[in-house]
Amino acid sequence: MEELTATHFLLLSAALFIIGMMGVLTRRNVIVIFMSVELMINGVNVALIGFAWEQNSMVGQSFALFVIAVAAAESIVGLGIIMALQRRIDTIDVADVRQLRE
Amino acid sequence: MSTEVLVFDILAVVAVIAALGVILARNPVHSAVALIVTFINLAAIFVMLHAEFLAAVQLLVYTGAVTVLIVFVIFLVKVDDLPEFYGGNPVQRIFALLIGLALLGEVAAAILTRSAIGASDIWTAEAIADAGGNAEVIGQVLYSEYVLAIQITAVLLLVGTVAALVLARPASATLPDRVKRTGLISLAHPRGADREVAAALPAGLEASRRGETSGVRFDDRGVILVDNAEAFTDQTAWGGDRLEGDD
Amino acid sequence: MVDQPFWITVISAFVVLNVMLIGMAYMTWFERRMLAQMQDRVGPNRTGPFGLLQPIADGVKLLGKEDIIPEHADKRIFLIAPLITFVTAPLIALFIPFGDPVTIAGQEISLAVTDISVAALFVIGISSVGTYGIILGGYASANRYSLLGALRSAAQVISYEIVLGLSLVGVFILSGSLSLVTIVNEQRQALDFFGVEIPNWFIFSQPLAFVLFMIAGVAETNRPPFDLPEAETELTGGFHTEYSGFRWSFYFLGEFIAVIVISLLAATLFLGGIDGPIKDGVWWLLLKTFIFLFFFVWLRATLPRFRYDQLMGLAWKVLLPLTLFNLLLTGFIVLERNGDTNVLGFIRDLLFGWI
Repeated sequence: MEELTATHFLLLSAALFIIGMMGVLTRRNVIVIFMSVELMINGVNVALIGFAWEQNSMVGQSFALFVIAVAAAESIVGLGIIMALQRRIDTIDVADVRQLRE
Repeated sequence: MSTEVLVFDILAVVAVIAALGVILARNPVHSAVALIVTFINLAAIFVMLHAEFLAAVQLLVYTGAVTVLIVFVIFLVKVDDLPEFYGGNPVQRIFALLIGLALLGEVAAAILTRSAIGASDIWTAEAIADAGGNAEVIGQVLYSEYVLAIQITAVLLLVGTVAALVLARPASATLPDRVKRTGLISLAHPRGADREVAAALPAGLEASRRGETSGVRFDDRGVILVDNAEAFTDQTAWGGDRLEGDD
Repeated sequence: MVDQPFWITVISAFVVLNVMLIGMAYMTWFERRMLAQMQDRVGPNRTGPFGLLQPIADGVKLLGKEDIIPEHADKRIFLIAPLITFVTAPLIALFIPFGDPVTIAGQEISLAVTDISVAALFVIGISSVGTYGIILGGYASANRYSLLGALRSAAQVISYEIVLGLSLVGVFILSGSLSLVTIVNEQRQALDFFGVEIPNWFIFSQPLAFVLFMIAGVAETNRPPFDLPEAETELTGGFHTEYSGFRWSFYFLGEFIAVIVISLLAATLFLGGIDGPIKDGVWWLLLKTFIFLFFFVWLRATLPRFRYDQLMGLAWKVLLPLTLFNLLLTGFIVLERNGDTNVLGFIRDLLFGWI
């Protein structure tokens, strides 16, 4: 692989996304899960921008900008939920959040 | 191997290692630091992809705002050493690893055998330079083709802010004004406060009230719930005797 | 944009960073002398003429001190946190244009080390990364006071960064660019102000934004009266309580570099940078920067520290609405000037059309 191609970026994107996914699946600390979600979002952004670069397009970059904006909104709500969780049931362990199940 | 590929490889490897650090670190603050490293490396990669504006936004929004908020929340909540990677459920861990590896293999196969490449758009590096730069071109595209989406995003951010305010509002904010003023906090509280106010606290805060037997309790939010100033400290107030019947 | 080989950029970056370090060292001397004058004291005057060798003596002293790591500290983070503050602060100086491109031996050399199209955004982004030094250092010290300082810093930085960024948007609208070089060049034209010719400095067209930028800049650098994260009297030093020796000096010097950088930025963005009445050049930039440095010291000698709720209230309830108002006003005026829409007519119709 002499030249820089979209393949490089797509592999990086896939790696980040899957690392984030494994974080979501295995961790129990809700803050770390939240950070893993941010990793997944960033993986997607790398793919979007990589495709935009490959095809000389601005659509991918615009989409990535929207993704970042939505992720910012998601993060304030998510962190607010974490604070509320801590306040209501005094834990940030997702395994302990089961009021609806019982 | 060209310099570009070498630089990319370094950045990508550091980003992936830091990403692994996010999910493997025992201490959430270490996770956050690893997350910052990932974000900064990705910003550098965005610059390599001629997306300077997005690199700056990545730096501003992710490292500058989102991660600061995450660290802030880590400081505020009680961070226990949760049983997860270390002594958690091994089945879950192994399954996650297997699924992750399988998915990675699948996606990698799909990427490496990819043949269909879409038609090239007009925004080559020269066209972008002619239009005045990356930020200008993004602005043009956003405010011509995606005006409605921009508006919706703005509304979404507003709604998100309001939602966060509602979620993070302390429980005491919902109490009646009179209770809030006289019954909840206070070291500077006038002596001889009426106990009716404290009695008017809702059931959720029952435990937090000063009971007959328990001492003063510090609520988790640092709000000191006492009936009167004397209850807070064993020392008498300045120049005063202890209240009759207290203790 | 000037086309120059990579090694020239490396050399100019090296020169700028080293000048920043020397400037920072003498900023400490300047502040102590000036503060002493304002408080009717003498200040350091024993080492060298006027105490000019004091920064060197201080540096040697700090290097010789013991580097203490608290027992319960989070060691790795404790060790790198001061470096984050120290390394990120001078990076911003690399975006500042120090003059027009010069030609030496047939090679055109840009006096702005880098001229990227989104420089202004990077400046804000890098300064926000610098605060991780404070936040992480406060956390890693395993000290209540330090953690409180870190928390305060996190909240303060998030709030004031918004004001800092938004106050610059008016400048971006007027100059039509995010590149600092373009912004400076835009300010070097003359502006006709009711028959009087004044320079097109953005302080004249964006006075409100300038004031907001300076307030937010003081808060970003944790200088008095916004030095809540390190308030000596309440937090015994805040985030750097547990730091000693040269690690402590990294924080100290990082703060001074940040002050110089904010002054440089204010001079570049609002006072025309290298523009001056006679013969443009870096000396004008240095003069303007010096005025801002004096202003920072003056503030420290004059104003008492804010209370914490006042600090947050100021950012969210006063400064943020003002920046948004400034933005709205600038947008309207630019639209009206360009004749794109009849904005004033539209507002008039909206308000009084029903009559």
